[in-house]
Amino acid sequence: MKVKVLSVPVWDQEQALAFYTEKLGFIKKVDLPLGEDRWLTVVSKEEQDGVQVLLEPAPKHFEPAKIYQQALFDAGIPYTQFDVESVQQEYDRLVGLGVAFSVPPTEMGTVNIAVFDDTCGNNIQLVEMR
Amino acid sequence: MTFYLREVQKIRHIVYGNQGQLEAVIGARRFLDGNLDGNINLDLLSENSYISKFHLLRLFKQYYGQTPRQYLTDRRIERSKICLRRGMGIAQTCYAVGFESPNSFSTLFKSRTGVSPTQFKKEQFSQRSMPPHSETSCIEFKT
Repeated sequence: MKVKVLSVPVWDQEQALAFYTEKLGFIKKVDLPLGEDRWLTVVSKEEQDGVQVLLEPAPKHFEPAKIYQQALFDAGIPYTQFDVESVQQEYDRLVGLGVAFSVPPTEMGTVNIAVFDDTCGNNIQLVEMR
Repeated sequence: MTFYLREVQKIRHIVYGNQGQLEAVIGARRFLDGNLDGNINLDLLSENSYISKFHLLRLFKQYYGQTPRQYLTDRRIERSKICLRRGMGIAQTCYAVGFESPNSFSTLFKSRTGVSPTQFKKEQFSQRSMPPHSETSCIEFKT
């Protein structure tokens, strides 16, 4: 058994693709039409053979998913997290691109963290090991 | 303040209240990162951290969830992937990331990644072509 895909629920796949590629710097990996939606994944530019992030349109079709996602977002809880070399540098870069952060770079024991809004319904946490 | 931020502050207070211990383990981790290609052992790490080796072992596991050896191996494998992607040979990669024998490196690499270093290299070059400067150098990766 291998971990190849993790999914992130998004309101709008096209908007999510733009955010995850143009702002975060991911690369589109798989894009398959599935009826009115797509099997759409992106990967890290530095690890293109790594885990794929599936931008899945669950909140669009499944009400409980929408409610769960909204509750997490309102509580400020990250849906998932991505590792970075420097949280401060990524924070500066993303703020420069207009990304909104709910948690600025913050020391949390053995890691630094920051949390931003992915504009598709999720808080995403950046993590740097100290 | 959000629910999440309150939880972060609470956990920070409970788990990371001892600044001295925190600085010691962070220092130890940075020492490991800075010497991935060297011959590091617990005695050396302990001397560098000014903590007895058994106390350091316990603290490192407590704060990072891994032993220093497990952490070091993970980092070396991670860096070896960068070296292989950049076209370095198996033996050269092995020594560049601090392993002592290409055979044991290959065995360990396969057990961690599911493929041998040779197969990994082939897959990289068949799947994509990435300019060398677009990745962190395996040599300059020290933090």
